[in-house]
Amino acid sequence: MLFEIIKFELNYRIRQYNTYLSFIIVFMFSIVAVDFIFEGQPDAFKRNAPLTIAKSMGIISAFLLMIPSMIMGTAVLRDFDHRMEALLFVNPVKKSDYLMGRFLGSLVILVFIFTAIPLGMMVGDAMPWHRADELIPFHLWHYLQPFLFLVVPTLFFGGCLFFVTGALSRSLLIVYIQGCFFLIVYLLAVNLLKYPENQLLTGILEPFTFQTVRITTASWSIDDRNTALVPLTGIMLYNRLFWISLGMLTLGIGHYFFTFNVLADKTSTKKKYAGKTQDKNIPGYVPGPIPFASPDAGKQKTFIQLFHTTLFSFRSIVATLSFKVIVLCGMGVLLINSFNLNTGYGVNNVPASYLIAGELIELTGLFFLAIVIFYTGELVWKERDSGIDPLFDTLPASNLISLGGKFLGLMLTLILLFFTMTGTGILFQFSHGYYKFEPAIYLAAFFIEVFPFLFLLGVVCFVAQVLVNNKYLAHLVALIFIGICTFGCRLLGIDHGLVTFGGSLLTSYSDMNGYGHFLQPYLWFKTYWISFSVLLFMIAVLFSVRGADTGFRKRWRQHRALLITVKRISMSVLIVFIFSGGYIFYNTNILNRYASRSTQNTFRAEYEQQLKPLITQRQPRIAAVSLKLDLYPGQRKYSVKGQYLLFNPGQKSIYEIHIQKLPVDEVKLEYLAVEGGAIRDSTYIRFGYYILKLEQPLQPGDTLKMEFIQHFTPAGFPESTNTFMVYNGTLLDNYHFPTIGYNHDLELEDPTIRAAYGLNRQPGRAAIDDPVALLEGKSNGDGEEIDLDITVSTDTSQVVVAPGSLIKRWTQQARRYFHFVSDEPVSNFYAVLSARYAVKSEFWHPGKENTALEIYYHPGHTFNLDRMMNGMKKSLDHYSKHFTPYRYQQVRVAESPFYSGRGQAFPGLISIAENVGFIMNIDDETDMDMPFYITAHEMAHHWWGDLVNPANVQGKTMISESLAQYSALMVFKKEFPAEKVNKLLRWNMEHYLKGRSEKAIPESPLSLVGSKQEYVHYNKGLISLHALQHYISEDSVDKALQRFIRDWNSYTGLKKQYTGRYPTTNDLLCYLRQVTPDSMQYILSDLFTSVILYDNKLGQAHYEKTAANQYTITVTPDLKKIKINPQGNEIPTAINDYVELGVYTKDKEGNETLAGIKKIKITSAHPTLKISVSQKPAKIVLDPNLLLIDKNIADNEKSFGNDPL
Amino acid sequence: MGGFITLIWIAPFAALGLKKTQMTEMALTISGLSKTYANGVQALNNVSLTIRTGIFGLLGPNGAGKSTLLRTVATLQEPDAGSILLGETDVLRNKPEVRKKLGYLPQEFGLYPRVTAEVLLNHLAVLKGITNKKERAELVKALLYKTNLYEKRKKHLGSYSGGMKQRFGIAQALLSNPQLLIVDEPTAGLDPAERNRFHDLLNELSATTIVIFSTHIVEDVKELCTDMAIICNGKVLLTGNPLRAIEDVQGHVFSKVIQKNEFGVYNERYTIIANRLFQGNTVIHIFSKTTPGEGFKPVEADLSDVYFSKISGAPAPVQKLY
Repeated sequence: MLFEIIKFELNYRIRQYNTYLSFIIVFMFSIVAVDFIFEGQPDAFKRNAPLTIAKSMGIISAFLLMIPSMIMGTAVLRDFDHRMEALLFVNPVKKSDYLMGRFLGSLVILVFIFTAIPLGMMVGDAMPWHRADELIPFHLWHYLQPFLFLVVPTLFFGGCLFFVTGALSRSLLIVYIQGCFFLIVYLLAVNLLKYPENQLLTGILEPFTFQTVRITTASWSIDDRNTALVPLTGIMLYNRLFWISLGMLTLGIGHYFFTFNVLADKTSTKKKYAGKTQDKNIPGYVPGPIPFASPDAGKQKTFIQLFHTTLFSFRSIVATLSFKVIVLCGMGVLLINSFNLNTGYGVNNVPASYLIAGELIELTGLFFLAIVIFYTGELVWKERDSGIDPLFDTLPASNLISLGGKFLGLMLTLILLFFTMTGTGILFQFSHGYYKFEPAIYLAAFFIEVFPFLFLLGVVCFVAQVLVNNKYLAHLVALIFIGICTFGCRLLGIDHGLVTFGGSLLTSYSDMNGYGHFLQPYLWFKTYWISFSVLLFMIAVLFSVRGADTGFRKRWRQHRALLITVKRISMSVLIVFIFSGGYIFYNTNILNRYASRSTQNTFRAEYEQQLKPLITQRQPRIAAVSLKLDLYPGQRKYSVKGQYLLFNPGQKSIYEIHIQKLPVDEVKLEYLAVEGGAIRDSTYIRFGYYILKLEQPLQPGDTLKMEFIQHFTPAGFPESTNTFMVYNGTLLDNYHFPTIGYNHDLELEDPTIRAAYGLNRQPGRAAIDDPVALLEGKSNGDGEEIDLDITVSTDTSQVVVAPGSLIKRWTQQARRYFHFVSDEPVSNFYAVLSARYAVKSEFWHPGKENTALEIYYHPGHTFNLDRMMNGMKKSLDHYSKHFTPYRYQQVRVAESPFYSGRGQAFPGLISIAENVGFIMNIDDETDMDMPFYITAHEMAHHWWGDLVNPANVQGKTMISESLAQYSALMVFKKEFPAEKVNKLLRWNMEHYLKGRSEKAIPESPLSLVGSKQEYVHYNKGLISLHALQHYISEDSVDKALQRFIRDWNSYTGLKKQYTGRYPTTNDLLCYLRQVTPDSMQYILSDLFTSVILYDNKLGQAHYEKTAANQYTITVTPDLKKIKINPQGNEIPTAINDYVELGVYTKDKEGNETLAGIKKIKITSAHPTLKISVSQKPAKIVLDPNLLLIDKNIADNEKSFGNDPL
Repeated sequence: MGGFITLIWIAPFAALGLKKTQMTEMALTISGLSKTYANGVQALNNVSLTIRTGIFGLLGPNGAGKSTLLRTVATLQEPDAGSILLGETDVLRNKPEVRKKLGYLPQEFGLYPRVTAEVLLNHLAVLKGITNKKERAELVKALLYKTNLYEKRKKHLGSYSGGMKQRFGIAQALLSNPQLLIVDEPTAGLDPAERNRFHDLLNELSATTIVIFSTHIVEDVKELCTDMAIICNGKVLLTGNPLRAIEDVQGHVFSKVIQKNEFGVYNERYTIIANRLFQGNTVIHIFSKTTPGEGFKPVEADLSDVYFSKISGAPAPVQKLY
């Protein structure tokens, strides 16, 4: 019997076109999946590497979860839908046969459908346009193995869940909602990862296995990542077994609770049960006249009817069980995930309204999508599903009212949810001590950022439901439509907001700048698309099914009567559509130049091809800058009159000066002239590249003045805008003004795109001995040390901040003027900021001189001003003492909008983005004081970067960033207890390991660190320099750094002046070697010139009491030292290192304190080590000071129980 | 004398005039209506009917095309050919206008299970165009009272019995004082008592309304209708007053008790309009213009004989009398 039922199920499914349609969808999706999953990762691993395949398969099966729910959910459900159950259940079929038969039959079909994943991926990888170096040789098993081990078990569990919920609830919507189950479990699993000790749990819990794959392969080498299969062992095996057994359990539960009853016994719990037997003896009808109610003929009738239908639809959604379940799931997600206020610095931000609103939107976005997609289906089919359609279809209300009312009802539901979310957000803020009541920010976030999109989505879904006229297929059609509009267009390179459905997203809210100038074009685009969607909706109105006829021609004929109304609405909307479209086009394509991504790429490729050869022409350097800048933030305009003093540093005369204007259309170089006159060669003017042929060549050592006038004048709005000039929080740096010669930053970066233009991979940072690059510092050779004189005017409401001493400040003709002059030469890396600032100022007293400390902050962002001020003072104390005295008379910290997203140090001026530091929420008990640390880091750049300007070669950022990290750490260490230092080290260690696992380019040693290796110069740099000072003492390191500064600083360094070049890490290492004892010299090579990792385990440990107050602990650690070779492969290396063991004891309150630490030279991989302490040990830790970079630090400690041995 | 002649002269015109006004205001004219479904079934074949105020019975076996005809009149379906006029309104071209005057009780319909009768009726009333809140409340209350659902108005429709659902259907059909009330096999699921109450209600309404009442039960028509049509295989076989139709066959219907195995022989020789079992033997009714003899006895004809004589004459399998 079981077999018969399976056969029946298979036969049934084989005849369903859904089966093939699903197969085709999975297939098509799988062909392009890798492209869009790994899109925009320029240095991706091999396209058909087993790991890439496994990851993609996990993601594809998660994305297409809808298909299992449709296939498995309907296996039993359809008998109820078709009212077949009465006929079926009277047959002598055993319940288990029926259920298992249906289940297995459907599962076979489901697995068949998903075989389209490996097939599609194979086809995708075989596409002729992939370059050979993207691929490894084809292996069938590479596709089959992850399919069998990752996809099939997921399908099995999903199948069980959907099948059982379908059979028990008899509602497809409830089945769909199980998708939330997956989401919640996934989020739970990811959330657990916040604590690294939960890795195992996450790995087992995660249903789709992307995290599991990531965890199992976290320490894989590049070679492994390109060739090795993800083994089905360990966590991965447990994960699969866990989900398979959970699936079986679900089936068991389903079997137990499923009853062969014809009707689900739902009425028994109904309060509003009418009682079927009571009306037998009462007369059915009461004779008598019916009052005459005259139908309304006026205009207001339509509105009243629309209003009623809206409310009726709204209530019908809100009343459904499924809606409540979705809302509960949404709340569950909020509860589990809470609000992620993480900053990327290991601490949280304060729960500012715009952050909470953003989080709410991000966390619940999927639920809104689900609500719109599912409830349009439910609403459009509402009458037909309950069979009441003949009553409604003969009513004199038009389709416009019924469809329009339903649509508005759905929108009303969303609005209700928005208000609920606002309430939740505000409650959350209040409960976390944030008492600013800002409902307007929430409402703006919902109604401006999100609602228009949901409105458009709603229309698309309505139209799909009406035109496709099959509820479930229409869900899919709507999803595919959205997919094509978002990913499809992007893949095709279509990116103009007039063509890509819905236009682009709104740039996030900034506390400083609000939605800024982004809002106006956004609203125009939304007006355009909403009017377009109303036109679409009119099509739905004209073709909506009413009565028995479903053919398109019949539907059309039926609704001809509506044509007049529809025409009237359509005409007025069409006018809006055309007008807004025209206005947008006028702005984006006529007032501004529109460049699609491919046009921009072509521009950049041609720039490189045509202008890079000119790089050999020696150029003068800037020696002094004088700017007269007038900012008009309200109009986003400026004009600047500038003067550069150029000098010839070389041995030969210079005949041509090449000037690069910032290639942005709003920027116009109106005037450009040099002293002595020049002929302007405009060959490359389209790149903003001006060649000035000097009438009198610039002799070696000579200088000349160059003058320019530049304007920034926005015209209307472009398709995609920039953040140079904003209403509040403008930040213009030196690269904004004319630069000298060819600009490498304009080159294309993505190697795939470069290849398409016949360009080779970018060479990366110049070699450490590149003679030309050694002459350039961080300003790329435009001139490194300059005198600066800046006069800026701005609106009276704003304050200007720039480097140098503010020698004059005045107001004239309702404008504020600021005149800054550098007291001594500064590096050519300056910025001008203008915003409505509040100021906090204090002084630092390094003896007799006063150094002014000022923080220019956005009013309200006062959370961390004291910490930052403290950071400035403590860094000045420390750096002045340990390195050299501070060079300037002031330090200014200025807040900038989040667009830059980082902190930057200019001479005497630090700009920190609003989302970095200013709004961090620091708990002094538990949190690392990151505002303090960030300030200390930026302060350190006055020594590392400004005073010592590293040559623009490999290892450059070790000098600027790693040394700044080290300096800040030393200040931090003085200020805060050891646990916090340890926390900071740990955090950096984790980020380094995570960072290196994500890159396909082999890791460079710290001393040769290249571009885009932040995880090396920030995270590893901190760990390595911390280890160095631990081994050879802080004083020794300071001594080396002092000598390095003495010899190599840009202004007075003798070696710098003698060689004329900038320093490299080779120079730095020389000084470090001098201060390192011979026995420790190996450490310099381990830390800086090679890539060394450890994989250490504490292993067995026990202790015994050897005397009164003496305990001896014996450990047998398992130590592995690994060297990464230049190809990125792991080479096991003999260990011959100092390793520390730390023993902690616990007092009565449970506080741990260090009882003893021992440094041991280790020469074997499995040594037996002993350490004695005088207190009862509670815990032993291998490498407690985090000196070694260990792949897994979780297994480096062992706690002892309370019972003494 | 002159007065009398005048009267004679005037009377027919007056009658005509009266009839004319009735026709323009209160008649449904169906002409040449045809409909063939995509699967080849011809549901309507050149149907023409004129239906006036009062109850019009539409009698026919299952699958005769009754529901197709009614759905078409109720603006839910498009015919392939033909026209329908309600008074002077073209039903097929001016559906919204017709829907304002229409009450429709379909053969099968569902209700929202999670909504109360009062709420749904109120909602339907709004969509009928009754936007005055007070009037609407009065109307809804009166209709619920009339259909005896008032007590249960706050109950979810999901808990209603079949009879209650039917009554709700009637209540909604009466919402806008319909000029045209279409009821499609309304008594199919009702017990005899409920059927009678329903008939009373229709009777009460028929004074001012065109009521089209479709059924396959002869008794319903006999009891209620002043006018009727028999429809089978999409064709109108007979129209007219039921009593007159009976008169037409009166004296031509004969019955005889025969052995079961003789049925074939009789079927060849006579027009058997009905047969039923009687104590193990078969009783046949035949239609004959002349006295057949052979032991046939004349019987008092009733509407079922009319019905079966008509549909058995139609080119379709012989219908069985139950």
